[in-house]
Amino acid sequence: MTDEFAAASAAKNGQPLLRMDGVGRTFQMGEVAVVVLTNITLDIRRGEFLALVGPSGSGKTTILNLIGGMDRPSVGSVLYKGRNLADASDRELTRYRREEVGFVFQFYNLVPNLTARENILVSTEIASAPRDADEVLRLVGLEDRAEHFPAQLSGGEQQRVSIARAVAKNPELLLCDEPTGALDFKTGKRVLRLLVDLNRQLGKTVVVITHNAALAEVADRVVHLRSGEISSMEENQNPVAPEEVVW
Amino acid sequence: MVRALNRKLAREICRSKGLLLAITSIIAVGVMCYVAMQSAYLNLSAAKTRYYRMCRMADFWVDVKKVPLAELEALGRIRGVAEYQPRITFPATVDLENVPEPLNGQVISLPDRREPTLNDILLRQGGYFTDRRENEVIVNDAFARARNIYPGQWIHLLLNDRRQELFVVGTAISSEFTYLLGPGTLVPDPETYGVFYVKRTFAEDVFDFDGAANQVVGRLSPELAGESNDTLRSAETLLEPYGVFSVTPLRLQASNQFLSNEIEGLGAIAAVVPTIFLAVAAVVLNVLITRLARQQRVVIGTLKALGYTNGQVFAHFLKFGLSVGVAGGVLGALLGYTASAGMTQVYQHFFQFPDLRSQLHWNTFALGMAVSLVCAIAGSLHGAWSMLQLQPAEAMRPEPPARGGAILLERLTLVWKLFSSGWRLALRSVFRHRVRSAAAVFAAMMGAALLVTGFMMVQSQDYFLDFQFYRTMRSDIDLVLKGSQGREALDEVRQLPGVDHAEPQLMVAGTFEHGPFRRKEAIIGLLPDARLTIPHDAEGRRIPLPRSGLVLSRRMAEILHVRPGDQVSFTPVQEERRTLEATVAQIADSYMGLTIYADIHYLSRLMGEEFAVSGVQLQTDPRPDVLRRLNHELKQLPGVEAISDRQRLVENLTKTLLQNQFVFIGVLVIFAGVIFFGSVVNSSMVNLAERQREVATFRALGYSKWSIGAMFLRESLLTNMTGAVLGLPIGYGLMWLTATAYANDLVRLPVIATPAIWGWALGWAVVFALLAHAVVQWRINTMNYLEALKVKE
Ligand SMILES: Nc1ncnc2c1ncn2[C@@H]1O[C@H](COP(=O)(O)OP(=O)(O)OP(=O)(O)O)[C@@H](O)[C@H]1O
Ligand SMILES: [Mg+2]
Repeated sequence: MTDEFAAASAAKNGQPLLRMDGVGRTFQMGEVAVVVLTNITLDIRRGEFLALVGPSGSGKTTILNLIGGMDRPSVGSVLYKGRNLADASDRELTRYRREEVGFVFQFYNLVPNLTARENILVSTEIASAPRDADEVLRLVGLEDRAEHFPAQLSGGEQQRVSIARAVAKNPELLLCDEPTGALDFKTGKRVLRLLVDLNRQLGKTVVVITHNAALAEVADRVVHLRSGEISSMEENQNPVAPEEVVW
Repeated sequence: MVRALNRKLAREICRSKGLLLAITSIIAVGVMCYVAMQSAYLNLSAAKTRYYRMCRMADFWVDVKKVPLAELEALGRIRGVAEYQPRITFPATVDLENVPEPLNGQVISLPDRREPTLNDILLRQGGYFTDRRENEVIVNDAFARARNIYPGQWIHLLLNDRRQELFVVGTAISSEFTYLLGPGTLVPDPETYGVFYVKRTFAEDVFDFDGAANQVVGRLSPELAGESNDTLRSAETLLEPYGVFSVTPLRLQASNQFLSNEIEGLGAIAAVVPTIFLAVAAVVLNVLITRLARQQRVVIGTLKALGYTNGQVFAHFLKFGLSVGVAGGVLGALLGYTASAGMTQVYQHFFQFPDLRSQLHWNTFALGMAVSLVCAIAGSLHGAWSMLQLQPAEAMRPEPPARGGAILLERLTLVWKLFSSGWRLALRSVFRHRVRSAAAVFAAMMGAALLVTGFMMVQSQDYFLDFQFYRTMRSDIDLVLKGSQGREALDEVRQLPGVDHAEPQLMVAGTFEHGPFRRKEAIIGLLPDARLTIPHDAEGRRIPLPRSGLVLSRRMAEILHVRPGDQVSFTPVQEERRTLEATVAQIADSYMGLTIYADIHYLSRLMGEEFAVSGVQLQTDPRPDVLRRLNHELKQLPGVEAISDRQRLVENLTKTLLQNQFVFIGVLVIFAGVIFFGSVVNSSMVNLAERQREVATFRALGYSKWSIGAMFLRESLLTNMTGAVLGLPIGYGLMWLTATAYANDLVRLPVIATPAIWGWALGWAVVFALLAHAVVQWRINTMNYLEALKVKE
């Protein structure tokens, strides 16, 4: 954690980790403006496990990108520990992504010319307090595929490397875009268990996108998205253990 | 720190090693040219400066008929003249025992005892003159070595009609003759032309020059160097009563002019050629890195999402370009150093230096390296930059498809219909990838320009040889007589055995004036129906000698600013120095010297004589035994000042030029090949990589490898040929610039463009495009289609 963010967090203790306020996102495609998100207001509490569900094209990935500092909102503010990411410089956003966020991409985005382990090293080498690459590979059950290139791995295996890469950074905020989309029942549960453990035992904040409603049962809170707006939000009083989820 | 990324880099470099090698070679050639030429340039100019200082090279030469030494004192008082020295110098015929033909040389007087002299000699073997004999000689080193002459031997020179026996005390070199040329030639031939230094007292004796001189060499005061023209003009005026043949500033001294031209030329080439190569390399590299960055758009987005800074990601791509730059730079520097050593060796053959060494010039290395890196950085910068501007979220989305609309050409329906569907596909692709196509066109343009310049250079030399030595001056042997003589001299030569044909010449040196323009030059009188010297114009038409009036060479006409019909005044370097008026009748073309022709009868009359002869040109019987007898006779012939074996001169010149041409063309074609090949391989490979899925789909649809290859070949032919055609005029322009820059009063290069040159240049362009395409075709043939369809970029 950088001093800056730490100082900010100390000053604003008791506040949410991240606050989206009146956020909208519009994409300009030539002459037409595509409105993807409108008036999103959402608090993400420190240490919570949040699920983001909604149909395809509803803007889930777009929200996650804004949370992860990979994009800037067209209107509204995204406050992380009190700092507005909307008007942060490229430099500050880069530092935010590097120090605070772990991202599991919807399409894995592994670097083709690097082995599984090297794909993890690529992220740990620039992190300040990373975990051991081999250890996280073991956590996702890929210890014997460490030297394989993405092209030699199945889709599900690639997805797990992607998760390992995010986890290995040991970030404050873990953002997962359909982390189990390509996984079967058994490995899906195993990955879910990993995320829950990170959340419950290490106190990391986790945001998971899914359009599998069953999966959302694990979360503390579920946010429903429809056509770029938050349609409903529900607190989960008794989150179930990953093992009990019915797929 | 980012070791994983470095591993990615290493793998990517490995995977595209062929392509990188192609670009590396372009850079390497550029750096090599720079290092080689620049080192040779530095070696040569340093050697020149040292040599001139060591020998105390003169700043000017004044040739006069005969001036008493006492009269020279006034020369020292002229403002700007720092120092002067009188000399006696005459052409000589050298009679070597075991050499049948008479050889030519120049005799120059030196002080009897060693003392500081201008145009001093550096002894190579033996020593300076002794007090033991009057008749001692120091021979120039190259001639001595070519003819096996050593100190302690006796040699014979024909001086002033007398056969003199001289004792060789030493051999020497002098900066005055760094590039030693006999009369009428362009390349040194140490076997046939020598310089012979004799004691001043001996020269006075032999040439009846007691207390007189016929040449003054001098140095100008450095602080008044800007006014050297005035200084020399005053010297000329002062010496005018003694018959001034020529006043030659250092700038126009033959040896210095050839040497300085060579040095300047090297400097210019060292700037131009590498620029071409490095520009091509930067452009080609840019295409490659752009493709790489595009292809890795998602990777770039991911790295940025992971928290990599723009700088780190850019550094990653930069390293890719830099590896090429470093490899090209190092390879180029090493090759360049080797080449400069080779060039320096060639120069040692043509130029006589005491210490021409091939030296390591670290700053040249460093600059070559730096330029190559800058070129690599420039190439990468542009390529990766646009990808870095994207926010990671944006970068991770697939790139919007390229505009797929109709290209401009399609609107010209009539023209568009002319093309088959294959060519239409190629045209669309060429116009849609503007930057890549422009890069390919640019490279081909430079390659073709290089070829054209080179071929034109060779053509120009061939034309020069043919024009000057086979059509204009056609004699086998030229005799220069002592002074001007009557008709009997000619008749006497005609009697000699083996003389098939003899024609008289009359040379009259003097000063031409036309308005403010003046020039010292000689008129050559010829028979109107002369066969051995025939003035021509550039179109190859014979120019008939007018009964009265002069035929000026174009360069001389330009110097005097005259046109046919104009009057010029001419003051011969003769006893009474009357000024005559003559009409410029015609202009002839000439690529050597500033020749002026006139009818020998007309010229004789101008000089107040009925018929005068100062030289004879011979056409000889080629049979060896007859020739030997003729040579024997010529050695004894009185009244002859110099004999030049034109046949041998032309042979030597032709041989030297052809030899160099061979190497020159070879190197040139290889260089141009590197450009063509590298550029075609690069753009086709990039094209292929971008269209892997398309190609795989075509294959799946049942197209053959060859018809897919043809798609790419059409594209590379389109860009390559367009570029090559555009490069033709650029090459012509470069040649024209070179010829103009090099033109001087001694030699000029004709600018000749024949269809054959365009043909050759385009032909080579096609050959290289096909060769490069073979590599691309091989790639297509060995491509794994399943993988190509599966791979998600
Ligand atoms: N850069 C962009 N330019 C234009 N439109 C965009 C851009 N990014 C997203 N969109 C559009 O915004 C909408 C929401 O996209 P988003 O990726 O957030 O959906 P999603 O909820 O993640 O869907 P899925 O479940 O299919 O991943 C889509 O219609 C998409 O086409
Ligand atoms: Mg999505």
